[in-house]
Amino acid sequence: MRETISRLRQSFEEDCAAVTGSEDWKAVRDKYLAREGGLVTGALKKLRELPKEERPAFGQAMNALREFVEDRLDARLQAVKAGERDRKRPFVDVTRPGVPLAPGSAHPIKRLQAEIEEIFVSMGFEVLDLPEIERDYYNFEALNMPPNHPARDAQDTFYFDDATLLRTHCSSVQVHSMETRKPPIRAISTGKVYRRDPFDATHSPMFYQVDVIVVEEGLHMGHLKGMLDVFLKRVFHPGIKMRLRPGFFPFVEPGAEVDISCIFCSGKGCAKCKQSGWIEILGAGMVHPRVLEMSGIRDPRVTGFAWGMGIDRVAILKYGVDDIRLFFDNDLRFLNQF
Amino acid sequence: MKISMEWLREYVSLTESAETLKEELTMIGLLVEGVEPSATGPVLDIEVTSNRPDCLSHIGVAREVAALYGRRLEMPAVETEFEAASGEVPFGIEIRDPDLCPRYVGLLLDGVTVRESPEWMQRRLEAAGMRPLNNIVDITNYVLLETGHPLHAFDFDRLRGGKIVVGRAREGERMETLDGVGRSLDGQMLLINDGEGPVAIAGVMGGLDSEISPSTTRVLLEAAWFRPESIRRTSRRLGLSTEASYRFERGADWDNTVYSIARACRLIREIAGGRVAGSLKDVYPLKMEPPRIRLESAHIRQLLGVELDDGFVETTLERLGFRVGKEGGGGWDVACPPWRSDMQREADLIEELARFHGYQNIPAEFPPSRTAGAPSRVYALENSVREALAGQGYSEAVNLSFASPADHGEFLPPGGGERVAVANPLTEETEFLRSTLAAGLVRSAKRNFHAGRKRVCLFEIGKVYAPGADGTPGETNTLGVLGTGAFLERNWTSPEAEYGFFHLKGLLGVLFARLRIPSWETEPLRSCGWLSPADGAAVKVAGETVGVMGSLAPELEERYKLKQPVYLAELDLERLGRHAFAPIVYESLPKFPSADRDLSIVVGKEVAWGTIERGILSLGIRELAGIRLMDVYEGEKIPVGKASLSLRLTFLDRERTLTIDRVQDFMNTVLSFLNTNYGAGIRSL
Repeated sequence: MRETISRLRQSFEEDCAAVTGSEDWKAVRDKYLAREGGLVTGALKKLRELPKEERPAFGQAMNALREFVEDRLDARLQAVKAGERDRKRPFVDVTRPGVPLAPGSAHPIKRLQAEIEEIFVSMGFEVLDLPEIERDYYNFEALNMPPNHPARDAQDTFYFDDATLLRTHCSSVQVHSMETRKPPIRAISTGKVYRRDPFDATHSPMFYQVDVIVVEEGLHMGHLKGMLDVFLKRVFHPGIKMRLRPGFFPFVEPGAEVDISCIFCSGKGCAKCKQSGWIEILGAGMVHPRVLEMSGIRDPRVTGFAWGMGIDRVAILKYGVDDIRLFFDNDLRFLNQF
Repeated sequence: MKISMEWLREYVSLTESAETLKEELTMIGLLVEGVEPSATGPVLDIEVTSNRPDCLSHIGVAREVAALYGRRLEMPAVETEFEAASGEVPFGIEIRDPDLCPRYVGLLLDGVTVRESPEWMQRRLEAAGMRPLNNIVDITNYVLLETGHPLHAFDFDRLRGGKIVVGRAREGERMETLDGVGRSLDGQMLLINDGEGPVAIAGVMGGLDSEISPSTTRVLLEAAWFRPESIRRTSRRLGLSTEASYRFERGADWDNTVYSIARACRLIREIAGGRVAGSLKDVYPLKMEPPRIRLESAHIRQLLGVELDDGFVETTLERLGFRVGKEGGGGWDVACPPWRSDMQREADLIEELARFHGYQNIPAEFPPSRTAGAPSRVYALENSVREALAGQGYSEAVNLSFASPADHGEFLPPGGGERVAVANPLTEETEFLRSTLAAGLVRSAKRNFHAGRKRVCLFEIGKVYAPGADGTPGETNTLGVLGTGAFLERNWTSPEAEYGFFHLKGLLGVLFARLRIPSWETEPLRSCGWLSPADGAAVKVAGETVGVMGSLAPELEERYKLKQPVYLAELDLERLGRHAFAPIVYESLPKFPSADRDLSIVVGKEVAWGTIERGILSLGIRELAGIRLMDVYEGEKIPVGKASLSLRLTFLDRERTLTIDRVQDFMNTVLSFLNTNYGAGIRSL
């Protein structure tokens, strides 16, 4: 009896191992488990022919065999199906190149401009859309630069007529915001500015700026430093250091030049920072009282601060671009690097 | 301004190294750009801001150093005796325009010997970047670099009538300046004349006729104060900037006149052997006073956010030459020194205190927030456009906003040639502001072709410019798109797909979808000169033209020597913005399946697809959910002048399952409409 079972089991194992496709598999299943004529099912039917006392042991052994056969067949079927699926799908050389879809890109300066705008919005600033074609009054006079002011020299200007020009900075946001809003004011203006500089590796007649104005009661220079510090760390790197030193811009007093620790040498001194460890990045200061007056701020408790920064300059520093003209050549080999 | 350390030590004791000084002067606002070697030792190259003309001299810088380290400022010895020793030689000074020249000081010296100046002086001049000429001229330059006040020396024997007359030039008057250039003057320029005519352009440059020569024995020294705006105007008009004009236009010290002439007199007597022949004449018709400013302790705290003690305030200002008088109510009455032309308000004084307190010693503090913040009105629109186009494989370009006359001839805006001219262009390339983005994009494509690329897909968001209704220049935010070459480059999976009009139109479809502009259309346009008449099209939203698209006009293709067609679109973002971002209203997904039916019709080529599409839609079949053009065939199998169009119509009933019969009814309606209106024959079903 035991011998029969073990022979049956052995022959099943041999047959099952030889299965290669679902057809073979079905044949083996039928050979052992078919209701009519299956070897296992057939053997089970012989149970009744056995003496009563032998039946339980034989029954148990046969049921175990049947379970074994069924489990084995299930496992074998999974393996067979997997093999067949694999055979249906051809082998793919995954190292071949993908379809050459074009990447597309946002312009590096424009993307930086958007990032900067987002930083300011998160700090409670309103972003004003101001015209590039500006009146002399807003670009110069209301910023404490009357006609024939020497500071105008540094901003050689494109004019359309005596009173109309291409803005030389975005600082007109100071006057525009104060004329149309009441303190507390936090506003920026970003975009293209123009100066009559010949186009070369370090100069362009057109570049990008962001100008910042904050006006409210009780602002002081410590606040300017606090906000500048947060801004510069977000634009460049949280580890950046900042220093302010006295500087001159007619529309601020006190005025400051703002340096950041050299991003190329971390302030140790290199060719890019002329061994000083510092890189000049922007101009800032407390809004000049004359500018406040001209813009209609009469309350002496109200003060303000302002700063202005070249966005191209940041891009040049951040990305190590060595020729400003690359930003306006639109060479895809350049653009697609951003 | 080049400052020699060796020279500086004459006025202030200095043990610091050049490097230390560089660092510490920079932190009080005198940016030392570098330290250079010279025959006198290290020279500091200081960038002096335009508000600090007082620091355009060694004494000026020495005063800052003295204040910084709390040391004494030693002023150099000057002549004190200005009376002619024997036989006063008469000379006259007359100021006709005191508004432009409130003070003019003259001194006549006799018996000078013009020769080389001593070596120590030559060395110092050279260290400061000036070329030695002869002792008299060198002395005036030396005093300029020492005290900061520009002097002029005339050969007295060349002055006709023995007198100086200061007054405005006659319109069109001419004179030859020291540099040998003949200059034409206008009626606002201030001249120094002798008895007969001009001998110097006041504060800018002397005349050739009265210059110091080897045979000069009598020298008339001039130390004057001229109105800064006037000197600046003259210098700009003549395109002539000199050491003198540079200082006068920033504001010289009127009280430095007598001192500087006395210093020059002393040096001339020591070096050139002269003596006073005509005593000092100080013509000072308009007395000038530096401002007195009330400084309040509370305002210092308010502006700087730090508490400075009274002793520091007083000492700092006094060291810088201010006279400080304590007043009640926590304030001071501060009299500014005449060399500080930048001092006008209390804030100016507070900056002086901040400079010497040290900006680095003001603690940083983030200001409390009281505002909500808001992005710009164009931010959402521009960012959506950028994301949509970059996502479709287009790269964002930025071109200069300028246009050359050639660009303007070639890329006229649709429907007009109005342009914005720059009054003072830099080059031909900047004569105008651009009136279209297309010119810049075509040039950019050309540059990429040169770099060996065929596939170029670019877009630009920027202003174009046109005169407004009142003639003043105006600007419009605009989107330009350019596509050319392969839509998909040839690769091992598929052949090359050539970029065409309908790729660009497909892109606009994506863009409008992202901007939630539900319906838009194109129609033929002939009036845009830079687009080809074959496919030039107006882009319309709700009946309003928002832009144009098409291929570049053949004559421009030829002029730019392009070997492949270039497709362009230009959209007015301000108009587009008014239609964009329709509110999002969710429509529930259909519960019943839709049914597609294909249909091929043969129609005359002149029947536009848009007409057919609109016609079918006008039938008002509510269940018609979409019409797609699947294929267009023109050729042998159909009559000449006809085109076969394959359409796929999609039907959907949101309420119930569509039956075959109903769909057939719809199809019959469509077919009979097409047949009746366009004579369309059914090719197959």
